[in-house]
Amino acid sequence: MAALLQRVKSKMFIFAHRKVRGLLDGEYGSVFKGSSLDFDDLRAYVPGDDVRAIDWKATARHGSPLIRRYVAVRKQNVLLVTDTGRNMAAAARGGETKKDLAVLCLGVIGLLALKHGDTVGLVSGDSEGTRHLPPKSGEAHLERLLRDVDTASLASPRSRLQDQLDYIAATFGRRMLLFVVADEVEADAGLEKVLRRLRAQHEILWLTIRDADLVAASGPAMFSVDDFSPLLRKLAGSAGVADAYTAAALDRDTGRHAMFRRLGISEGEVAGSADVMPALFALLERHRRAGQ
Amino acid sequence: MELINWWLVPPAGLLLAAALWWAVRRGGAKPQGTPAAHTARLTALPAYQRAVRRHRLLLVMLAAAGAVVLVGAAAAAARPVQSTTDRPEQRNRDIMLCLDASGSMSDADAAVVGVFRELAAEFDGERIGLTVFDSSAAQLFPLTDDYELVLDQLEQAQQAFDGTAEGTAILSGTWLAPGSSLIGDGLASCVQGFPGPDDGSRPRSVILATDNVLAGEPIFTLEEAAGLAAEKDARIYALNPGDFDYGQEAGQPGAQLRAAAEGSGGAYYSLDSSGAVPDIVRQVQEREAAAIQGSPRRIVHDQAAWPLGIALVGGVLLAGLAWRAEQ
Repeated sequence: MAALLQRVKSKMFIFAHRKVRGLLDGEYGSVFKGSSLDFDDLRAYVPGDDVRAIDWKATARHGSPLIRRYVAVRKQNVLLVTDTGRNMAAAARGGETKKDLAVLCLGVIGLLALKHGDTVGLVSGDSEGTRHLPPKSGEAHLERLLRDVDTASLASPRSRLQDQLDYIAATFGRRMLLFVVADEVEADAGLEKVLRRLRAQHEILWLTIRDADLVAASGPAMFSVDDFSPLLRKLAGSAGVADAYTAAALDRDTGRHAMFRRLGISEGEVAGSADVMPALFALLERHRRAGQ
Repeated sequence: MELINWWLVPPAGLLLAAALWWAVRRGGAKPQGTPAAHTARLTALPAYQRAVRRHRLLLVMLAAAGAVVLVGAAAAAARPVQSTTDRPEQRNRDIMLCLDASGSMSDADAAVVGVFRELAAEFDGERIGLTVFDSSAAQLFPLTDDYELVLDQLEQAQQAFDGTAEGTAILSGTWLAPGSSLIGDGLASCVQGFPGPDDGSRPRSVILATDNVLAGEPIFTLEEAAGLAAEKDARIYALNPGDFDYGQEAGQPGAQLRAAAEGSGGAYYSLDSSGAVPDIVRQVQEREAAAIQGSPRRIVHDQAAWPLGIALVGGVLLAGLAWRAEQ
């Protein structure tokens, strides 16, 4: 049963048709695959591939760009990190459940990783506990990981992503690629500390799922996942409150961006499922540029 | 103060309790809508908390206004009444105004009619009739409680006597018999003007305005007419415009009149006596009070004004607050 993965694949398929086939694939390869000196084979260039990898002589003979592939130095361990607390059962800015967006994002990265022969693991949890599914290859394993992410519901305990990050810092000794999917976390000293610690050891990509706009002028009735109290939309939408909230949200975003910049962590943002592919592409691109 | 529909109060109380229960229960129910995370980032804002406090105050006032409407409406529906025991005023007196229109009275007639008008204004609910006599008696209007007619007729009569109107036609029925100023006949006619059985169920009064100066041969003497009045159980209140008696001897016109009036249980007044009108009114009404021992009746007055007023104020408040809350 690969229901969740099927969904991810169809999303990628649609994206690949709309954009250029293999775009993300090449991007992932050029970002994360180190190259050894052991030549493997040539393959056609796809946009996103590192231009430096083009074998110009072979290209001249062949008539279309070819790139050299080398046997990878090592297999990457990709560790998917996400929150499966109650917060993820809430709505994202685009109206979908944040959990579904997380499944989509993690699924895309997981598939890309599998395609490049990497192993994929998962660290997830909430304020009451952290679960760890160790890195393995194979789509069945990835489906299992996504299933775990999909368990987040309103009945789940509260969210506390820092617990999961602390767990990673305390548990893993190997260098890994951390792909973190979280909602709009607030930059604070504790979070920055654990991220600085993790950044020293791992490579970190951070994807932020935008939270629903609480002061939008129109929209469905809302209630808090913290205490299930209804949100008074009319009051929230009144000018003074909306202005104060918007200003505070802007401050939060600025603080988060500044923190990631300081730490050298690439961050991307997703508001709805339509954004997932472009956002991931942009994130990988940004990460590649930052790495060079 | 008591409640007619007192049984409405418990259901109203139950309704209020049910509304409260529903509100409390609904407050605890799982909310509808989209779940949202990090709501504390909104709810912790001072601006939001101020707005919530304002809104809460508004809601409390709304609830209070609603309760006021309910309580007021329930109180009104329960029909609070003030019950009083009342002896209903049965106005069943008959008063015949009896006016001598003879020549000797011509100077005083207008003044007499003026006094009659005052009397008619004082009485309320009684039947009043007017008979004018000279040599014969003419009933200007029979006993009636149509006061508009009474005052209208009296005004016409006054104008006729004043000479301000061509109104002597109203006196045309008073010269049919030979002679003039036949007081006994006039009084007898007045007394005969009382309809109905002579069982004392309707106290009768004759207010007789005459100087008792006789000029002719009456069929009834004053004493005989007074006797008729006594048979009919009618009291005679005499109004004399000019008392020309000398001394205290009986047999003089004024003294005869006084005797006739007081003999019937009535009273005698000279026209210019300032106490005449209130005195007559008082005496007539006293007699009626003695005559009628109507059974006391319990009268129930609805006291709906206060509860309805409160409900109205509450309703206006409710509408205003609801409008404000919708903004």
